[in-house]
Amino acid sequence: MLRATGVGYGYGPAEEEAVEAAELEVAPGEVVAVLGPNGAGKSTLLRLLDGQLEPRRGTVRRPPPRTPDGLLAYGWAGEDAPHFEHLSGRENARFFARAAGLDRAAADTAVQTLLDRLALAPEAGRPVSAYSFGARRKLALVAALAHRPPVLLLDEPTVGLDADARAALARLLRKRSAAGAAVVLASHDTPFVEEVADRVVFMVRGRTRGGGRPRDLIRELGEGARIVVTLRAPPELPSDFHGPGWRVVEPGNPLVVRAEAGERALPDLCRALVSAGARIREISVRPPDLDEAFRRAVGETLPGRDGAGADEEEG
Amino acid sequence: MSALVWSTEWRTALARRRLFALNVGVPLLLVAPIALSAAPAVHAAAVYAVLFVIHPTFGSAVPLVRDAEEGMVARVLRAGVRPATYLLQRAAAATLLDTLQLLPAVAVAWWGLGADGGALLPLLAGLLLTLWTANLVGVLVAAAARSVAESALFAAVAALLLLHASGVFRTGAPHSPAARVEAAAPFRALHEALLASGGTLPAFGIGASLAWAAVLAGVIVLVARRLGAALAGVPLRR
Repeated sequence: MLRATGVGYGYGPAEEEAVEAAELEVAPGEVVAVLGPNGAGKSTLLRLLDGQLEPRRGTVRRPPPRTPDGLLAYGWAGEDAPHFEHLSGRENARFFARAAGLDRAAADTAVQTLLDRLALAPEAGRPVSAYSFGARRKLALVAALAHRPPVLLLDEPTVGLDADARAALARLLRKRSAAGAAVVLASHDTPFVEEVADRVVFMVRGRTRGGGRPRDLIRELGEGARIVVTLRAPPELPSDFHGPGWRVVEPGNPLVVRAEAGERALPDLCRALVSAGARIREISVRPPDLDEAFRRAVGETLPGRDGAGADEEEG
Repeated sequence: MSALVWSTEWRTALARRRLFALNVGVPLLLVAPIALSAAPAVHAAAVYAVLFVIHPTFGSAVPLVRDAEEGMVARVLRAGVRPATYLLQRAAAATLLDTLQLLPAVAVAWWGLGADGGALLPLLAGLLLTLWTANLVGVLVAAAARSVAESALFAAVAALLLLHASGVFRTGAPHSPAARVEAAAPFRALHEALLASGGTLPAFGIGASLAWAAVLAGVIVLVARRLGAALAGVPLRR
């Protein structure tokens, strides 16, 4: 349904490459997540798939803009979707539902259903200028989903959403894919991606680099756990700092440890760190996940749970 | 989707009450001192014509460029609204809004010119044609501009040139090239209706203004996709 072949795109007069030779294919009924750190080129790839950008190299094949019954074939929710600021959320959503080809009654029904599902209904009568960032994101999702497009392109769809809205969005996306829609997400929200994606494509510095089914990628990591240690006073550690059943895979703060023995490695790990002069602030143990699969595949880490902001001292 | 853009423009305008009040009050403040003064009708008519042309040209171009810069034009056009529908419904809604907003100022101007009831209908006809044409000029200006500042500059230049061509600042001698240009200029109907209200011109022709209103609308329909793409800054769906 959607296919990008050897696609390249650059911004600015120097055409600095944001996307280089990217490959992506999405079948009807499939949810594909493009996973990568900030600046990897995920949003640019989505814009190329949506036709907002014309590729400088390669080709993008996409369905025609209208479905046989005259509705807009695409649903797009970007991080920076503008709204009619002086109109209410409901009026905004209705506008885009009608613009996509729904008649008045169908638009009203679809919009109300989505406002209820994403818990935006209580705020739907207020002008968008009074909305929080999260409410704006929900509104963009309502507009993208209302006409039930066969192609859905969502850029960082969970940014700004609370837990309930994330769960509701996951249900909506699974429903759309069950109805045959091709869904592409650009995200670095790995728990959400694990929950909804049939397939993951890794992207780093403008290039797509492998991927697979989330369950398979995690299974390939084997048993064990990933232990993330946040330190108050990071000591100088040898590059191969390790112990029985564990080893440091990402030095720094937080320190990331791969432990085949899982949480049984904790006592020895803590003793070793304290002996080395570390003051431990927080330890979390996580089973193998997409973050680690990504790191294993491309040798880089995703921002979020272990990275951005974790090394900032509190109080 | 018949009147989707039209109704959205109205809702937005009515929701922005402060701006609506300013758009009524500022023209009134500009017109009232002249109407109350002993300014000759020919000079007063020129000032009114400038105001009634600048107001819609800026009011069309500047918000359109602002919406383009914010990505709203791209979002609307890629959401399924046809460029011609978007641009013309926007201009039509703005024309009627401008008419409502300028009516108090027009009424004061008409009173100040000492016109009788018979001059009112030609004045309103000239005003409507002027507002429609000026709004369409604003659309073309917006598509050529790359920033709000540029759109204001281009709107001023376009409006003043067309006003000059319409004989607002200097009437051409009969049968001169300037008079021929004037006869075919877009804002002549308004200017002549204002002069007629002041009793300095017995009759006026509406043909050229009507032709401009129709031709500009036609041009915008013909090149709407290009204008839309220029404003959106992204390719439109085919």
